[in-house]
Amino acid sequence: METGRIRNFCIIAHVDHGKSTLADRLLELTATVDMRFLKAQHLDTLELERERGITIKLVPVRMRYRDREGDEYILNLIDTPGHVDFSYEVSRSLAACEGALLVVDAAQGVEAQTVANAYLAVEQDLELLPVVNKIDLASAQPERALKELEDVIGIDTEGALLVSAKSGVGIAEVLDAVVRRVPAPEGDPEAPLQALIFDSVYDNYRGVICYVRVVNGSIRSGQQITFMANGISDQVEEVGFFTPSMRASEELGPGEVGYVIANVKTLHEARVGDTITDARRPAAKPLPGYKRVKPVVFCGFYPVEREEYPQLRDALEKLQLNDSAIDFTPETSAALGFGFRCGFLGLLHMDIAKERLQREFNVDLVATTPNVGYHVVLTSGEILEAHRPSDFPDLGKIEEIREPYIKLSMFLPTDYVGKVMQLCQDKRGVYGSMEYITPERVRLVYELPLAEFILDFHDKLKSVSRGYASLDYEHVGFRQGNLVKVDVLLNDEPVDAFSFICHQDAAYHRGQAVVRKLKELIPRQLFEVPIQAAVGKKVIVRQNIKPLRKDVLSKCYGGDITRKRKLLEKQKEGKKKMKQIGRVSIPQEAFLAFLKVSEDAEE
Amino acid sequence: MRRSRSVSCDVGGRGGWNASSLRNEALLRNAAAFASDAPLSVYVHIPFCVRKCPYCAFTSLVPASGGIIDAYLEALEGELARWTETAGRMFCAETLYIGGGTPSLLAPRQWERLIGILEEGLRFLPGAEVSVEANPESLTATSLRLWRNWRISRVSLGVQSFDEEELAWLRRPHSAARARDALSACLAAGFRTSVDLMFGLPFQTLHRWHRTLQELHRSGVRHLSLYQLSLEKGSVWGASPPSEPLPDGYAFYRFAQWYLRRKGYGQYEIASFAAPGEWCRHNLAYWRGGNVLGLGAAAWGFLEGIRYGNGNNLARYVAEVRKKGAVSVEERLEGRKRAGEAAVLALRTAGGVRFRSFARRHGPEEAARLVRCLEPFGERFLRREPGRIAFSPGGMRVANALWTEVLADDEDDASLEEGSLSGRSCRR
Repeated sequence: METGRIRNFCIIAHVDHGKSTLADRLLELTATVDMRFLKAQHLDTLELERERGITIKLVPVRMRYRDREGDEYILNLIDTPGHVDFSYEVSRSLAACEGALLVVDAAQGVEAQTVANAYLAVEQDLELLPVVNKIDLASAQPERALKELEDVIGIDTEGALLVSAKSGVGIAEVLDAVVRRVPAPEGDPEAPLQALIFDSVYDNYRGVICYVRVVNGSIRSGQQITFMANGISDQVEEVGFFTPSMRASEELGPGEVGYVIANVKTLHEARVGDTITDARRPAAKPLPGYKRVKPVVFCGFYPVEREEYPQLRDALEKLQLNDSAIDFTPETSAALGFGFRCGFLGLLHMDIAKERLQREFNVDLVATTPNVGYHVVLTSGEILEAHRPSDFPDLGKIEEIREPYIKLSMFLPTDYVGKVMQLCQDKRGVYGSMEYITPERVRLVYELPLAEFILDFHDKLKSVSRGYASLDYEHVGFRQGNLVKVDVLLNDEPVDAFSFICHQDAAYHRGQAVVRKLKELIPRQLFEVPIQAAVGKKVIVRQNIKPLRKDVLSKCYGGDITRKRKLLEKQKEGKKKMKQIGRVSIPQEAFLAFLKVSEDAEE
Repeated sequence: MRRSRSVSCDVGGRGGWNASSLRNEALLRNAAAFASDAPLSVYVHIPFCVRKCPYCAFTSLVPASGGIIDAYLEALEGELARWTETAGRMFCAETLYIGGGTPSLLAPRQWERLIGILEEGLRFLPGAEVSVEANPESLTATSLRLWRNWRISRVSLGVQSFDEEELAWLRRPHSAARARDALSACLAAGFRTSVDLMFGLPFQTLHRWHRTLQELHRSGVRHLSLYQLSLEKGSVWGASPPSEPLPDGYAFYRFAQWYLRRKGYGQYEIASFAAPGEWCRHNLAYWRGGNVLGLGAAAWGFLEGIRYGNGNNLARYVAEVRKKGAVSVEERLEGRKRAGEAAVLALRTAGGVRFRSFARRHGPEEAARLVRCLEPFGERFLRREPGRIAFSPGGMRVANALWTEVLADDEDDASLEEGSLSGRSCRR
């Protein structure tokens, strides 16, 4: 197919504004349907994903479309993950396209992700086609939605499409608009091969499958190719496209979208954003935009049963097969034993990983409270990356601590502005701007330390705004903060599993919360146990667990002896299973309860 | 003088006492023979009550007729005869305890029968301590006379409380008035009297508890057994607990320890308080690992380190005991486990563990290990005297936790070398 007849586009929308339904309709209308294969097999239908608003990603589907004049076109629909945690992946998927359908819910209007994704599309020089969806709803206000698009994002809404994906209204017009308004790809078939890997998945049978957009040159089976990021060369086993099932073909030329299978075993070899070129006639430069994603949120994963450590390790390795962004290294904790320190792109990424480990791989694990990575500037001038509290050196050696910040964009009804601003303030947010999108809706921008954000900001936001607020954020670098490391001591011994980093103003309050929680969870011992929170040598909070007062079996004659002895033996077995922190015995459940990544961990 | 023997046998298992377990039979026969060689303690179980109290998990039932009791006594005679045959000689009792159920429920002629069986079937050491359990509602002048005329010198009266409301809540089959009368009668008849009391009852106040203890002290009672109400498996309340919340027993127990000591009662065991000389020698045998011959359905015995339990099915006991005996469960602990149990029992008493005899019975390493485990707990929980270690009153209050420490250390010494991550070490 000549490049003039190819159109590469994607659909971007805020969650639940109708992206999937619209995609389904497009596929139906172009008779590309085979519903069974619509969902990519490597992503499971997790409740979590639906809750958090990620729809299941589609494979890049090739649709054949005959327009009114009878000309045939190839329309490649490339799906994008909707969540900010994966914004790098989004940007690479966008880089494979020339146009994007910008979908807005006619009743809801412009929301945070609408904006975030639209900006990414503009950054990639994509042609934006505004689409107002759900016009069938009684509460639909298409004119208002269009006005918001113009005012908030600043795009021209001339020729915007009004559709109802649910009832099938306006879909043919969408296809038509794609053909007419999305530019055809440009590319030189004679130039050295440059193909963008905009996604890759691991398949149990076939190894890594790369989703590619060929920019220049062509790629065919049997060809020797090189992955430019790491220089690894491989032979192509197969190329093809999706309809949506896999269909092998002879070659993929410039402007085409499809897949490449090349005997790649791990995702580390075939990275998202990387460029594939010909091994014998390589391109001079890779395609722009490739970068290595860095994890920003960290936590420890520990097996509940010590013996399950190998299973946890295997599960993490398998998870990594499918998700190159997960980072993990072994670590130990005196309290929890052997485990792993894991890095993620964000909280959602972490939650999904944890969920998958437990559900798919059946590993019972405890996750420590998530934390961000800090840059610690030492008095010697050296900069240390600290991923967990124990990475921090002594107070005396620290010149400055820098923490990652994000710029938060929130869309909410005006009624909740006060509460939301208060929330941001409480989370050490710095006011950025506020604009009225409509008299009833506001866009609020704040800059916030990422550490505060991961402490249940999202849930609190939903709560104070009764669910009406939406948010999106981007990372804006590291800033100096007055941060301290708070140690928790049990019976005068520090317990690394409980220490945390926080702003010095919050140290007392959070120290109190931690100490109080521990007091509830740790059973009485034969002696008084002081629980302390300390910053450096200074104790800021102290509470005592009172000693056991009475624990005795009254009667013990003839027949009682054996029975009572067995009770004691059971008690003894229970004690053996406890973790010993010095002289203090703590049952496993207390650790799990404390370290559970849950909303109520912090007040 | 008791000869101590170490009968070398394998670890005893659970298991029926039947003809096929010849090895068990031989072991028990051996044990019985040795045990009968010296005076020991004898326990007789009378599993009949006028009514079942909801907190009680002991084996007892309400007899449908006097005939059942008669049949039971017949069977008792048979069991004793069997034991005598097994041992090859008559057993000599230095203590005898007739417990239940409610032994005082027996009619006078049934008492005469029982007395006859025991008198014929056992030898008695001069000055042997013979006790009987009684309930206020079934205590009669006739029984008291019968007991006095025989060897019975101690009566343990099940009072539980002098408060009418508490007694009603406990569903005791007697009133406070009756309990007081019964108590006076026992004392007047000249018996060494012990009273059982319960604490940790709902709505019980410290003041009321004090008044009860005070009344008992003033009445001249010289032995008290204090038990906290607990919901035992196998009792009515164990299955469906009462709706009233139960208070923490700590305050009552601690007060009693303090008050009774001032009034001249020595706390000689976790639940037992006695004026000087008044301790119950029979119970002490349990805690000191002495030999005990148990007779009757559900009775337990302990002969030369073998603990056995009779089946608790009354009908089967009556039907089979003469031919097959009544033993349904037995166990024999060895080595560290045995030492551990012995230590736990001894530590119930104020006398605690005497190192010399403990080391003789269980080996010097066990004695040393015991000290090593307990020593770190210091004065607050322990009383150290030369040659002896025992719990202080404070230690008695948390005895379970302390015993867990003693029992917890049963890894081989090799594993104590592992790091604190995996092993548990008694050394602190």
